[in-house]
Amino acid sequence: MMHRFALVAIGALALAACGSKVEPPVEQIVLREPGQPAGAAPAAATDLVAAGKAAFAVCATCHAVEAGKASGIGPNLNGVVGRKAGALADFGYSAALKQSGLTWTETELDAFIANPSGKVPGTSMAAGAVSDAERRKAIVAYLASLTP
Amino acid sequence: MNDMAKPPRSRAAKWTRRGFIGAGALAGGALIVGVAVRPGNPVGKLGPIVAGGEGEQLVNSWVKIGADNVVTAIVPHCEMGQGAHSVLAQMLADELDADWSLVRVMQAPADGNYVVTDTARGFVAPGTLDAPDWLEPTWNGLFTKISQLGDVMITGGSSSIRTTGQRTMRIAGAAARQMLIAAAAREWGVAAAEIVTANSTLSHQASGKSAPYAQFAAAAAEEDMPQTPALKAPKDYRLMGTDAPRTDIPEKVTGAAQFGIDATVPGQKLTYAAVRKVPVPGTRIASMKADVAKTMPGVLQILNMGDFLAVVADSYWQAQQALNTVEAEYTRSESAIRSTADQFAAFAAALDQAGDQGGKELVGKGDVAGALSVSAKTFTAEYRAPYLAHAPLEPMNATVWVRDGKCEIWTSTQVPLMARSAAAKAIGLSADDVTMHQPTLGGGFGRRLESDYVVMAARIGLATGYPVKMIWSREEDTQKGLFRCADLSRFTGGIDAKGRLVAWNNVFTQHNDPAEACDAPFYDVPHKSIRVAEAELHLPFAAFRSVDHSQQAFFVECFIDEAAHAAGRDPVEFRLAMLGNSPRHKAVLEKVAAMSGWGTKPAAGRGRGVALVQSFGTIVAEVVEVDMSQGKPRLTQVWCAADPGFAMNPDGFRNQMEGGIVFGLTAALHGEITLKDGAVEQGNFNDYPMLRIDECPPIAVEIINADPVHLGGAGEPGLPPIAPALANAIFAASGKRIRELPIAKHFA
Repeated sequence: MMHRFALVAIGALALAACGSKVEPPVEQIVLREPGQPAGAAPAAATDLVAAGKAAFAVCATCHAVEAGKASGIGPNLNGVVGRKAGALADFGYSAALKQSGLTWTETELDAFIANPSGKVPGTSMAAGAVSDAERRKAIVAYLASLTP
Repeated sequence: MNDMAKPPRSRAAKWTRRGFIGAGALAGGALIVGVAVRPGNPVGKLGPIVAGGEGEQLVNSWVKIGADNVVTAIVPHCEMGQGAHSVLAQMLADELDADWSLVRVMQAPADGNYVVTDTARGFVAPGTLDAPDWLEPTWNGLFTKISQLGDVMITGGSSSIRTTGQRTMRIAGAAARQMLIAAAAREWGVAAAEIVTANSTLSHQASGKSAPYAQFAAAAAEEDMPQTPALKAPKDYRLMGTDAPRTDIPEKVTGAAQFGIDATVPGQKLTYAAVRKVPVPGTRIASMKADVAKTMPGVLQILNMGDFLAVVADSYWQAQQALNTVEAEYTRSESAIRSTADQFAAFAAALDQAGDQGGKELVGKGDVAGALSVSAKTFTAEYRAPYLAHAPLEPMNATVWVRDGKCEIWTSTQVPLMARSAAAKAIGLSADDVTMHQPTLGGGFGRRLESDYVVMAARIGLATGYPVKMIWSREEDTQKGLFRCADLSRFTGGIDAKGRLVAWNNVFTQHNDPAEACDAPFYDVPHKSIRVAEAELHLPFAAFRSVDHSQQAFFVECFIDEAAHAAGRDPVEFRLAMLGNSPRHKAVLEKVAAMSGWGTKPAAGRGRGVALVQSFGTIVAEVVEVDMSQGKPRLTQVWCAADPGFAMNPDGFRNQMEGGIVFGLTAALHGEITLKDGAVEQGNFNDYPMLRIDECPPIAVEIINADPVHLGGAGEPGLPPIAPALANAIFAASGKRIRELPIAKHFA
């Protein structure tokens, strides 16, 4: 059988504190991205930032990363490393996140992505927890590489 | 302002126009087709959306004219085989004096500017349709607002022609014609009254000037919108009432027509999702095991969405094959109903509790109990109708692309604005961030009045972030959708000494739409009590073609037939005797009796049955002749007489009667969804069969045009009479009384 790079993300069942009706997947198994050759290990595996970029595809549903681009369902993450939590004017953060006093170091980001509502109870980030530590590390490395 | 464009009631009209501009609402009623083109010009706003093509000019909200003199009607209803697109254009084109060979149809975008105000009004407050002219703008504005708030862009209720056609498209065409004349009169320096129009051409005899509409389209859009354009009288119709060839047929014959399932996303490679909903309504997925699916070719993602599973893959086949290997456990249902027997026991319990007088009375007249106590003869009957699936040939599907806080959806739907709102809500966007594309529907039948499948696709699209086409398998479509309700209906009838039906006592458990479907008020019956004693339904409900009429006509018209036999009278003569106050119904019944040679004796082994139903404003009587000589029913002929007021396209109307009859025969003979362990047992056309060509009899349809002002519908009214007419024919031929559908199972 072909070797496959399987990512398993167990989504949070809890709905966002803001009362959104969005029901994210209970379980989302991502085997590969469309257009990626079947069976080949993703090129990302050899390069942490590239691996993070590939892993970020799921996050990109809500988060834009291009400099200057408007926030979507989640805030734009361009330049997030080093930024104060809740800093973007164009995004309606939860009160919890705004008042968290956090500054997004790589360590804080890693901890938040591991368990958003554990790290900041009341955050409106209902989906997207990443349980795999390697994958988190890659995503954070990718985010750190994004500068305005 | 030029004379021709001046409305007859100019002061009211001016007030009206300002009122509308102030409210920002788009009008579509009897007196107004849109807000004035200036100021607050909707043509300027809508033009880029609906008339962006080279040389195209939007004249008012509902019509554009191209440089090639092609007239395009912008139609706010969907096309699902019923032919509404073409006939709505035909009505607009007639009032516009357009050349039919140069008329095209465009689906109006899913946009609040194209709500079907007159459909909403016709259903919610039909009394306002005859409002005095000075009140018309108020009603129109109110219902436009209500329609916008309620996302009322809907195709259903056999309503397109009789509401939007009569009160929007014709007026839009007439107004556009007057605007073209006004523009030409101004340019030519002649009196508007001297300009004549025909075949999309303006001409002025005295000066010899003539021009195609295209030449004045842009100028016409600058003219004032006439508020009360004169509409043609039936004697002046050129296209209305004719079999103008349907605009959608050529592309369906060549295969070029694009249905929802054919959707592509420009510039993108599609991925495909196969889905499996929980088998029992109301349950959840407790656990998912997808080890095998993970290893299968083409698989991109495997999703447990809580209430359904999805596999996303490079092709639909790969997705479905992988999904077939995914194992899941489900939570237990709280419903006490596990089987079909349980469902009917629940109905029976509700009816037992209601007894002869209980439940909520829907129709009450005279003194039923008293009349029954003095009747010369009484009889009882209990009828059963099963759950039905809609089984459109195109299974549920939707293509979605969610990205950057926006969503695009390509799907076959009867309710594009409601689907848009439902999808937006499900993925946390505002409706304005969701764009709907509306391909042709491969069948709707009420199933596509629901947006469940659009929501599922949107949720998958949110999870993937790339374009996905979700397609339900046929099994999924048959088992996991929403259904025509099952029901049980009990009657007691009383016949007096003269053989007349004097008492009608009835109770059933399911009451949806139309509210009056359980009654046949055109029959003179002095004492009547019709009640509903509600009972729980295990499967979710969706309107089915003709909705409650689909089961109620079977109950009522079999009951009437049983009453005729109890009275020892001929079923047609028995009905005619009750139609003294309903001349149109009488005429329809007499027509079908004449067509079918009712008074003649059928061949040996054969019998004829009749039914008369009014639904969606149209009166339909059908006679079935059935041959029972082989021990099983074989239909030899169906005759249908119908009075829709006026058939705008008689060929299309006959087509809808035939389609309703065939769809109704599928249900009457074969249709049955049953339950086992809380889940639907049938899956595909092998165990949920459609009527086959060898079972389909010749169908003769005749039309009576008895009221060209108040029209009835076409899409549904052909269906209700067929099941009772067939059951009554079987009784006539064999003496076997069918009180439970489907019929085939009584002869298996």
